[in-house]
Amino acid sequence: MSERGHIPESRQREKPRADLKWIGKSMKRVEDPRLLVGKGVYTDDVNLPEMAHAAVLRSPHAHARIVSIDVSKAAALPGVLCVMTGADAAAVCDPLPTWASPPVLQPAIAHERVRHVGEAVAAVAAEDRYIAEDACELIEVEYAPLPPVVDPEEALASTGDAVLHPDRGDTNIALERKLTFGPVEEDFAAADLVIERRFRWPRSGGQPLETVGAVASYDEGSGRFTIQCNTSMYNYCGWMIADTLRVAPHKLNIVPTLAGGSFGSKMFVHKVPIIAAALARAAGQPVKFMEDRIDNTTSCDNHASDRVYYAKLALKRDGTLLSLKTRIIDDYGAYFQFGVGQHGNALSQCVGPYRINSVEVDLAAVLTNKCQQGAYRGFGSEVANFVIERLVDAAADELGMDRIALRRQNFIQPDQFPYLIPTGNMYDSGNYQAVLDETLKLADVEHWRAKQAEARAEGRHIGIGIATCQERSVFSATEFWMWNLEPGVEWTSSPDGVSVKIDPTGKAFVTLHSPFWGNSPETVAAQVLAEQLTIDPADIEITYSDTDQGLNSTGPGGSRFTVMVTGAIVGAAGKIREKLLRIAAHLMEADVRDLALEDGAVHVKGVPDMKMSIAELADKAHYYRLSMPDDLDLTSGLDATYVYDHPVTTLPDADERHMGIFYPIMGHSCHIPVVEVDIETGQVHFLHYAAVHDCGTMVNPMTLEGHIRGGTVNGIGTALFEEFRYDEAGQLTTALWTDYLIPTIKESPADIVVGHVETPSPFTEYGVKGGGEGGRMGGPPAIAAAIEDALKPLGVTIDSLPLLPSRLRALIREAQAKQA
Amino acid sequence: MYPFTYHRPASLDDARARLAASEDGRPLAGGMSLIPTMRFRLSSCSDLVDLNAIDGLAGIERHEGGIRIGAMTRHAAVEASAEVREAIPALAALAGSIGDVQVRNRGTIGGSICFADPAADYPAGILGLGASVNTDRRSIAADDFFTGLYETALEDGELVVSVDFPVPERAGWAKFGNQASRFAVVAVMVSLAGGAVRLAVTGAKSHVFRVPEMEAALAADFSAEALEGIAVASEGLNEDLHADAAYRAHLVGVMAKRAVRAALAP
Repeated sequence: MSERGHIPESRQREKPRADLKWIGKSMKRVEDPRLLVGKGVYTDDVNLPEMAHAAVLRSPHAHARIVSIDVSKAAALPGVLCVMTGADAAAVCDPLPTWASPPVLQPAIAHERVRHVGEAVAAVAAEDRYIAEDACELIEVEYAPLPPVVDPEEALASTGDAVLHPDRGDTNIALERKLTFGPVEEDFAAADLVIERRFRWPRSGGQPLETVGAVASYDEGSGRFTIQCNTSMYNYCGWMIADTLRVAPHKLNIVPTLAGGSFGSKMFVHKVPIIAAALARAAGQPVKFMEDRIDNTTSCDNHASDRVYYAKLALKRDGTLLSLKTRIIDDYGAYFQFGVGQHGNALSQCVGPYRINSVEVDLAAVLTNKCQQGAYRGFGSEVANFVIERLVDAAADELGMDRIALRRQNFIQPDQFPYLIPTGNMYDSGNYQAVLDETLKLADVEHWRAKQAEARAEGRHIGIGIATCQERSVFSATEFWMWNLEPGVEWTSSPDGVSVKIDPTGKAFVTLHSPFWGNSPETVAAQVLAEQLTIDPADIEITYSDTDQGLNSTGPGGSRFTVMVTGAIVGAAGKIREKLLRIAAHLMEADVRDLALEDGAVHVKGVPDMKMSIAELADKAHYYRLSMPDDLDLTSGLDATYVYDHPVTTLPDADERHMGIFYPIMGHSCHIPVVEVDIETGQVHFLHYAAVHDCGTMVNPMTLEGHIRGGTVNGIGTALFEEFRYDEAGQLTTALWTDYLIPTIKESPADIVVGHVETPSPFTEYGVKGGGEGGRMGGPPAIAAAIEDALKPLGVTIDSLPLLPSRLRALIREAQAKQA
Repeated sequence: MYPFTYHRPASLDDARARLAASEDGRPLAGGMSLIPTMRFRLSSCSDLVDLNAIDGLAGIERHEGGIRIGAMTRHAAVEASAEVREAIPALAALAGSIGDVQVRNRGTIGGSICFADPAADYPAGILGLGASVNTDRRSIAADDFFTGLYETALEDGELVVSVDFPVPERAGWAKFGNQASRFAVVAVMVSLAGGAVRLAVTGAKSHVFRVPEMEAALAADFSAEALEGIAVASEGLNEDLHADAAYRAHLVGVMAKRAVRAALAP
């Protein structure tokens, strides 16, 4: 085993092929018809008899002791069924699930202390939502304010009353660790040049139109909860919710509802279903709790990375990159749901597409009086992309080299894959030169350079940026715990399963064990099963399991879905195909080796008339047992389940020389935006935008392009507009979408020209890679670079986001003052 | 929202009577500002008197003195009006810059000026073009209409019926909008009529205001260059998440020049 670990053999069964019929086709989405006519059933569409409605009273303080709560007036309001304080909840619920070890204890409803504005202080169930809201206004809470902690760097030094969780010691540092991979000090000593920058990545988050919701009911007879909820990961670790509710895991059934958007949020929803379930048990009636927008923005799992980086890139004068050192302070808010999983994630691709020999990461995860962090498109890797790309741009500028040429020089070469980076993660395959060349072509850079020169002569500011970014997909479980200080969750499985059935008439049924999360799971499943069984996707019906029926399935987060469900369907379809062939062999009196499944029928090779359709065989399989081979294992019916394990993962090294392979299915992208900056106002307009992604074999180019374009607009939001801003008192000043600015069609490029390169993975079925997050991974550094390029005559440097007009104008003003 | 009684009278007289009879009644035009504030429980009323069923309050007429726009005329109608585009294209541009399509299809000129949001666009149009506001009782000159933050010269129960715009020789509209709401961070309407210049700024203070120094400079020389060096003091300007006072003051200068250029554009 080398310093960076070892690479297991590939377990790929289906090689990428040119003659695929359904995989690779831009088939229309199976999900769309019912969603577009308003017939999808979202959580808020669920209505049960006798169902009550919940509302939550939230903390107006960032940090305070709860001196007293008087709920008597609220409880007396006609129509109120139940009022639950933190103390009431603590009597019936344990703390919320967490991956951090040691944990940061998080209650579903704050008890004794509030730690951020918007934290739940009490919950009410009432006959309708209006009454529940009115009741919340009648609850009297006395607070004793504590010092609010809002600046992550100041949080490093917090003591005394400013400490959020005194039970963990007199500090707001939740975790601090330095990890070194490879000969960092030697590489820095050998460097001719070290680029040093401080970067500030702002707290932003996924903004699904639909907030988080749950409809919970409790059956006193069986002692069993049923929770309908727009969550993911329920078939992986839904039992953790049962633990919190203090019931045995089999006394909880989680039923997924369609998610009206996630962008990574709703990854593992815990507060909302637990509040709804606790109220339902207390009230003796089903309870619906649908967050309103402020509930969601102030207190859900939508907030993401909020980081300060002190970054150093060591390189040779000839442009050879050597080593990367980062000191990171990440503001996790008041709780620590996924631990520093977001930094495990970033370790998967922190050297970008470049040959960098060594890496040091010195991380402090701090707790502040803000909403907890959760998952958001990129899950921390997008920040690492921003950092490495900004450093490479700075290095090129410092060396007087072309930014594109420096990238090209340091790219990992196509013949070097599979490639282990210093942290131990593997890049399975890639062709970065091909992606760059294709993007340069689509972006027509020469044309825009000429336009830029013309514009500069007129005093206008056009800029062209480039980013060449990794887009990792398919995490394995280790990323959630590799940084933990103490053993906690130490899982190594992160599979996804499917159930497939062919009914007696030949129609196919697929049960997915992951939810609809706003992406295209049914379309992918239909295309892959159609390919596998040579049937028409229109003959396939797709449903979602609850936890009662569920197979071990991690869910779609981390751009996993397409790869994992493709693998699971290949596994299940293989079993069905084998059975079809055995039955056909028996009925047609042929040797199985002479049979082939083609166009929905089993043929005897070379004998055109000798064939039986899948429908005929399914009929036999279901109803004609006495015509089947007399084999105890060949049971009636045509069905199979398959749980597909992560295609390639290894354990972290016990001595932490590397973290093992944990996020290896490595896509790549190149983004080239062209912007014009209005230097009088600070406003940025897009003149052109080209993005080329390599997500391996494409299952559905149309839906992938949707991901790329949507993700890129997400990236525009992060680069230019979006920020959860807390003021000095810890008030969230951008809790509403009038202040939390989301790009619309007006702020987006007229078109995002999308191109593809397909470098198949040698490890996944058909060579598929995930592509759900890449747009947001490439957009921010590319846009920052374009703006910097536009403002080159003024010498403006971009190292923090978002570049709101007011901030960009301030940078321009400073630069103008310096020049004058 | 808190509970209220909803009325939908068919005549102005009936609307007035219902408002007069209510404890704390409010008229409802397009509802683009009032309804959201009620939904957030930031405002409430005992009675909501919907003016949408009253005939004769909407419409655009060209007459000798100028253009008359009915109080219940939607922004989209002003934006699309051939008469407005021909006579005062800057006013059509203003209407077309409000909110989004849905807001423009629903919101009304009367509702906008009566609500008197400090960042609304129409107040700059009224003041910058020297319009007069006709109510069920009187006509109010633009300079007298907007009196403060969400405040106007309207008396209790007084309803706006229409607005009269004189037709200027030139007028120009320039707006730096909030990205989400499209409300003005700073927007400027400038007009030139009979040698007199009016330049009105919205979004920058508690309510719309004119800038006499700029008007004087433009009266002498109606060009963007004439505004060079005329700064608006940042003291007293609005400060919010999207712009501090200094940035707003700067934007007033930038938008004023752009409005003049728009007015001079062929």
